[in-house]
Amino acid sequence: MLSDKDALYRFARTVLVLGFLAASGLVVADEISEPVGYIMKVQGQATVTSRGQTIDARVGQAVIIGATLRTGTEGSMGVTLSDNTVMSFGPNSEFTLDEYQFEPAHEELKLSARISRGTLNFISGVIAKLKPEAVELKTPTGTIGVRGTHFLVKVSE
Amino acid sequence: MLQKTFWLLCLALLMTGCATGNYVVLLESPDGTTGAVVIEDAQGQTRLDRKHQGAVIGSRGFGSGPFDVGDLRIARDFSDALAAQPALPQRFQLYFKIGSAELTEESERAIEDVFETIGQRGPSAVSVIGHTDTLSGQRWNEQLGLIRAKAVAEMLRQRHIDVIDLKVSSHGERNLLIDTPDGVSEPRNRRVEISVR
Repeated sequence: MLSDKDALYRFARTVLVLGFLAASGLVVADEISEPVGYIMKVQGQATVTSRGQTIDARVGQAVIIGATLRTGTEGSMGVTLSDNTVMSFGPNSEFTLDEYQFEPAHEELKLSARISRGTLNFISGVIAKLKPEAVELKTPTGTIGVRGTHFLVKVSE
Repeated sequence: MLQKTFWLLCLALLMTGCATGNYVVLLESPDGTTGAVVIEDAQGQTRLDRKHQGAVIGSRGFGSGPFDVGDLRIARDFSDALAAQPALPQRFQLYFKIGSAELTEESERAIEDVFETIGQRGPSAVSVIGHTDTLSGQRWNEQLGLIRAKAVAEMLRQRHIDVIDLKVSSHGERNLLIDTPDGVSEPRNRRVEISVR
């Protein structure tokens, strides 16, 4: 039978280990700013905001997790992600890539994004093929679960 | 009377999907099939699985189920977004002679078409992945796959094709195109896959 002291020790150790895991997880998340996709087309005014910095979008520019893409009144932009997801946006659009994991060998698959205004043309990639429930697109009034391939979304302001 | 007409009109608009607001439309996929999307909002779940089928997101109850979306409306709302669509990802397989990084004669001819296609796409992200059959040992196959991939990447560089990103890697014998037991010579597994997006 465990004494109170043992139980307390075990508890403290668990907390320590969990705390360490959480902390190292944060460090890893911060360090990984590997491009998960690239901007392939740009027309008119279009910007990319990553880590609080906003720059004009240009072809070949990397898209990282957490990036927000915006287009102006005459702007449009196309992006391809590393899992072959193809997306493009019409004018006055705002889109954020919240979560992205594409490690098929480790079965780590996730694509979670949000469109808060504008228009989106979406062709799903390998993540949706391997794990359809891992792909979701949020809008201000509901969430779209992607079970495959090609759709359009319009979010009015 | 006027009020009744108004509500009927509203209902008709909702049913034909002309109501403003957020909505989604399913299109035919590039491969000619049609997939599906599931919309989850305050009203519950709506599934779309026919092309040009649309649904309001955050619908207002009765009369707001799936509706057909015509080409005109798609063009009106989405022509700019559709025009900005990047070139679709493509994959090419090139095959090699046994135990070497030398292309088969057939693939040697095919590779020029592949490079031309890649060049015409405009700047793309390219992954070159080398593969082997299961004939040799696992460790050597890992290296052989890389030697093959590097050979193809070098040819790509020599053509001065503008790429955004070029990744070269090997899957060795871990990713067979044709599943075989260990120690089997299989020409279709001796390949380099070029993935362009």
